[in-house]
Amino acid sequence: MNDFSEIENELKKLRAARPSPDLAARIECALAEADQSAVTAAIITKPRRFHFNWLSAGLGLAAAAAFLVFARINVDRTPAPTNRVAQNTPVPQTSAVSSFIPTGATQVVYHTRDEGLHYAAGYEEPMRRMRYQKRETLQWRNPNTGASLRVSYPSEEVVLTPVSGQ
Amino acid sequence: MDNVATHEDWKVCFSEFGPGLLLFARQWVRSPTDAEDIVQEAFVKFWRRNHRVNNRALLYATVRSIALDVIRRDSRRARREAEVFSDSEQSIGPQFELGDESQLALAAAIDRLPHEQREVLVMKIWNELTFAEIATALGISNNTAASRYRYALNALKKSFQTQ
Repeated sequence: MNDFSEIENELKKLRAARPSPDLAARIECALAEADQSAVTAAIITKPRRFHFNWLSAGLGLAAAAAFLVFARINVDRTPAPTNRVAQNTPVPQTSAVSSFIPTGATQVVYHTRDEGLHYAAGYEEPMRRMRYQKRETLQWRNPNTGASLRVSYPSEEVVLTPVSGQ
Repeated sequence: MDNVATHEDWKVCFSEFGPGLLLFARQWVRSPTDAEDIVQEAFVKFWRRNHRVNNRALLYATVRSIALDVIRRDSRRARREAEVFSDSEQSIGPQFELGDESQLALAAAIDRLPHEQREVLVMKIWNELTFAEIATALGISNNTAASRYRYALNALKKSFQTQ
């Protein structure tokens, strides 16, 4: 690091601009307000907030609706009974809806972002926030007809991990 | 300053860390007023939770986290900041009390550094954090923090020598 001692000394000569005088006063006010709200918070216990991922839920519902629509179309395509007098082999009576079986579910994480330390509501300790962007794919197959159904949608997941800072 | 934060000593702590925190916050927002708002929110949050005063990594991580939240909260600002970060000529950069022309040139050279190097440089030089503290605050390894610092110094040294 000796190679850099000269430039380090030059950098240390630069003085950071000082905060405006009223910033300290603002902090003092904010700390006083915080004290008052802390008293209130001690009396009223806040319920823990349930974190619901609306995007994923919406996409999940859309996928389920798409599945039902396709399944219905498949039901409609089952051959209708005919009035033939003679028939060599009877048409098998199967339920197309029930014969769709899940064949695969994949989840590909294509982007991960570390959003640093955050204070989550209701927690005293800081938490590391990781944001995962994924593409989820669900597949079903009807073994009788060979029809297959594939639904793919993007999703996002936020994971908070407690960090012991001290 | 090793004690847990109490109401009596916050002014001592703020007078020591204030300029460095402000300089650190200025990396994300253009206006000094926005930077002061970020420092205020971070400092109050840190102080209210009675963290150890010498846990500087957490203090700087709080500033960083709030700065990123502020940018994210305002989408227009986020777009503007993204443009600023992509254009190194117009980057925000740390703000200093400048003296002569060589200091002006040095400040401009700091301004041209990539954001991740400048971030480490600001924490190391003007806030005197250790590499371990920088690594904790930024969520990177000690080696990465040290190498970003070295790259920054190397770039500055080159630009300093060419003058």
